[in-house]
Amino acid sequence: MHDQLRAAALIFVACLFIAPFSASAQPTADEIVAKANLAAYYAGNDGRASVTMTITDEQGRSRSREFVILRRDQSDGGDQAFYVYFKKPSDVRKMVFLVHKHIDKDDDRWLYLPALDLVKRIAASDKRTSFVGSNFFYEDVSGRSPDDDSHELLETTAKDYVLKHTPKDPASVEFSSYSTWIDQATFMPTKAEYLDKEGRKYRVVEALEIKEIQGHPTVVKSRVQDLAAGSETVSVFEDVSYDLGLKEEIFTERYLRRAPSEVRK
Amino acid sequence: MKVSGKLVQFSINKPKLVTTVMVVVTLLLGALISMVQVDTDPENMLNEHEAVRVFHHLTKKDFNLYDVVVLGVVNEKNPDGVFNPATLKRVQELTEFSRTLADPNQPEKRVVSRNIIAPGTVDNIEQAGLGQVRFEWLMKEAPTTREGALKIRDNAMANPLLKGTLVSEDGMALCIYLPVTSKDFAYQVRERLLEKIKEFDGEEQFYITGLPVAEDTFGVEMFYQMALSAPLAMLAIFLLMLLFFKKLKMIISPMIVAMVTVICTMGLLIGTGHTLHIMSSMIPIFLMPIAVVDSIHILSEFFDAYQRIGDRRKTLEHVMDHLFMPMLYTSLTSSAGFLSLTLTPIPPVQTFGLFVAVGIMLAWALTILFVPAYVMLLKKESLADFGIRKNKETPSDQAVAKHLDWLKHFTFNHCKLVLTLTVLVILVAGYGISLIRINDNPVNWFTKNHPIRVADQVLNKHFGGTYEAYLVLESAEQELDVTAIADRLVTSINNNAFAEDQQKVSRAALGLLAEVKDSATSPEQFYSQLAQQWEASQDTANDADYETWAQLLDTLSAAKNRGQIFKQPEVLNYIASLQAHIQKTGVVGKSNSVSDVVKKVHQELFAADPQHYRIPDTANGVAQCLISFQNSHKPEDLFHLITPDYTKANIWVQLRSGDNMDMEEVIKDVERFFSEEPPPIAIKHNWAGLTYINVVWQDKMVTGMLESFLSSFVVVYIMMAILFRSPLWGLLAMGPLTVTIAMIYGIIGLVGKDYDMPVAVLSSLTLGLAVDFAIHFLERSRNAYQRAGSWRKALDEMFAEPAQAITRNVVVIAVGFTPLLAAPLVPYKTVGIFLASIMAVSGVATMFILPALITQFENILFKTKQQ
Repeated sequence: MHDQLRAAALIFVACLFIAPFSASAQPTADEIVAKANLAAYYAGNDGRASVTMTITDEQGRSRSREFVILRRDQSDGGDQAFYVYFKKPSDVRKMVFLVHKHIDKDDDRWLYLPALDLVKRIAASDKRTSFVGSNFFYEDVSGRSPDDDSHELLETTAKDYVLKHTPKDPASVEFSSYSTWIDQATFMPTKAEYLDKEGRKYRVVEALEIKEIQGHPTVVKSRVQDLAAGSETVSVFEDVSYDLGLKEEIFTERYLRRAPSEVRK
Repeated sequence: MKVSGKLVQFSINKPKLVTTVMVVVTLLLGALISMVQVDTDPENMLNEHEAVRVFHHLTKKDFNLYDVVVLGVVNEKNPDGVFNPATLKRVQELTEFSRTLADPNQPEKRVVSRNIIAPGTVDNIEQAGLGQVRFEWLMKEAPTTREGALKIRDNAMANPLLKGTLVSEDGMALCIYLPVTSKDFAYQVRERLLEKIKEFDGEEQFYITGLPVAEDTFGVEMFYQMALSAPLAMLAIFLLMLLFFKKLKMIISPMIVAMVTVICTMGLLIGTGHTLHIMSSMIPIFLMPIAVVDSIHILSEFFDAYQRIGDRRKTLEHVMDHLFMPMLYTSLTSSAGFLSLTLTPIPPVQTFGLFVAVGIMLAWALTILFVPAYVMLLKKESLADFGIRKNKETPSDQAVAKHLDWLKHFTFNHCKLVLTLTVLVILVAGYGISLIRINDNPVNWFTKNHPIRVADQVLNKHFGGTYEAYLVLESAEQELDVTAIADRLVTSINNNAFAEDQQKVSRAALGLLAEVKDSATSPEQFYSQLAQQWEASQDTANDADYETWAQLLDTLSAAKNRGQIFKQPEVLNYIASLQAHIQKTGVVGKSNSVSDVVKKVHQELFAADPQHYRIPDTANGVAQCLISFQNSHKPEDLFHLITPDYTKANIWVQLRSGDNMDMEEVIKDVERFFSEEPPPIAIKHNWAGLTYINVVWQDKMVTGMLESFLSSFVVVYIMMAILFRSPLWGLLAMGPLTVTIAMIYGIIGLVGKDYDMPVAVLSSLTLGLAVDFAIHFLERSRNAYQRAGSWRKALDEMFAEPAQAITRNVVVIAVGFTPLLAAPLVPYKTVGIFLASIMAVSGVATMFILPALITQFENILFKTKQQ
């Protein structure tokens, strides 16, 4: 009986949320963006992945970085913390990058450089800088705030919503606008194309492979192409798991010099 | 009848046919000129496959480098220099404007927007309060306040990578570096920038320079110059001939010969698929004087003899009989001089030599065939008053005659004095030649007040230098085999001093190592197999052992990455001391290397403390500084200075001067440094960059020209000996030529003019032209001697018609090329001065030295002849 009640209540709550969508067949651009943000960056309450990033330049020369990334959410759509522990190349092993992502203010970022025995805070005023030399930006790793752009639904294809995003502060970014393709079923963004100030497409971010892990659609392979420079970076995510119960204290300065055991495979 | 006679007869008998054929051939060949393909790249002075060019291109590829247009902005009126909001706004506007520059017809020719170095496009690592560092664009937006502008200056000045490169050390100026995908787009970039700059009305000055601009602009202006100078020279020659011969109709023929020669030669050049290069563009200027010389001889003699003989056919036969052999030989020797250029290792010079040689022979054929035909085609009446009639000499005729008469007596009576003076001249010239300085600089091809030259001066005064050379370093360590690698690895593991509780792991590791050592067949296999084995052990280890395995794996990858020498602190410190060393020369204003990046990042990581402006102590420290640097907006900037695999490094050397001798000084200095202070690890070094390439082709040019010059000297002597059927007379013919060359190069040395590309090429012209007069003079002397029986009597004949012809030639050509002196391009001036001097000196040398020598050695010369 208790269970039945609970089920009924759940259905009721679910209906409350689903109702607006079924009422108007088409969600608004802002709604799509909000859901996509959750799908892409807030799966589970925390998560862990081993990442291999391969950067290939215009001439086909490639170099790679291997790191473990731990994530912990304060709340869905709210503040988050990332702990990035480098394993390769061996000369940067144990290097740690820690981010406290804030919704209402600039992020906090720390960098621990073991060879220099130095913990350094990195000002995060501009998130569109390279992530350790790759074609990914910090913003690609931690997510661009939906509030930074105004969104517009361009079209609805068989599979995707296609949106156009225009920055509210054009001077703060290097693009003039970008478009995203968002899967209608999962709300996972599968592609983003950026136009430069002259309106030319110069940057493409794509999810090359998506798998369902612990019930969450998860990008296990993604790629950024810099069309102007002719370079690209492919990230492969392995050993992905969610809801590990990561402790909040891992994401503090104390753990920079001594990595938590969770960074081991 | 001799071949010469047949040819002349043919032309005299069939003047219309000769003329028609000439016109048709000229039109056909002239049509080919429309297919012209221009090549203004001095790099093509070297064969495409030349090692230095191959390496230069490899370097550009390895380090993602482009040729650069330098746009300088200087503000000397504002106390803050360019660092004021108004100027910076314009700088920002220009930067944005330049980003989009591309050739509308060939979009692959463009400014490489991503690699622009400008305040708005470079990243700066800076302190951001609260112990934070930040990567921020040096100038994200143009500042609106004085404070904002000054902050940009201070940030740039605090960054050793930018100071002296982007911002001048006095803070008054800044430079925008615009990389271009193709050097021959540089001129267009300059033009479009100038157009944009016209819109500004600020107090700052804009300057555009850089080798690609100089080279490409030279190419463009060269063509205007050709279109202007060649006709002007033609006009001057025409006017002088008019003065001498008075008869417009007669002097048109040498003009036609010259034009037809130039058109046909250029048509052949272009028709055979050659590009019009800086060198080949000079062909018309070289051909014109040579082409008219023979015609002037004919006209001059015709002029002197016509009224005496009274019949043009007979006069022509008389004149051509005299002149055929000397003209043939002068043409052959001139051709040989130019043909010798094909021996140089420089393709455009080879083409140039070949086609001038062809042109000379063409001019000879035209002179022999067309000039008589032309004379025959004229109406008889129009010749009625042509030539000298005894009592109707004009002042100019009289002046020439009077001078020659004086000369005749002087050389005869004072032959010893003439010869003594000649020896003196040669001695002084020899000293002058010893002073010759071999040097070139494409920027100096423009005259002093040309905007490019001015820009060059201004910017190199303010900055570390706008001339770029790249010193590329790479490991020269030997490859090791599996056994050697394994042994080294064992040693370094044993050196690790593992604690007691780690020994178990290290023993296990060494066990695996021994196994893999035996099975692996290549170093790659050894590394990958061992890594696999160790990683497998690591995966199953407990937390404490995990860490030990990780350390072992680090040791392994350090061994594997032994070739990544530019992470080693001792190597980076070596680079830094090399940079400090070359900086002392004064020519190098600035150099940038990966060492500078590491030091700067290290300093900023440690709160901008100047004490920390140094290379960290470990390779990992270096690697971590560099990965920190890569968190910027443009991480790829690092790879202009180092390859991503750390196996090659590039020192970007900025020189204040593009003079080859200055670059050579730097090269020597680097060699000295490497031999006096050997690097800690075996390192190869090699140069690239346009400034260096210029040195290489100059070297080839100078040695190549010298060799070709010497060989043509020998060839001309052999030809002379054959022509005069006497080695002694051959030697005599070489006399004036030797004196001329000695004198001209002596003067170059004495006045301190650089021996550069145009001067080098002109040496072959000297040879070809200077021998001409001697041939004419000697050939006629012998004929005259035979008729007269003694030199004293032969002199009267010699100093009449032949001497007249030589004198007229000297004056016409020498004066005819003076319009070139007004050219805004220095090589054209040089050609002008040279041609005038060659004609003047070789004329004077012939007229003084030869008669004096013959007078002195009359017995020997004519005795041997009689034998």
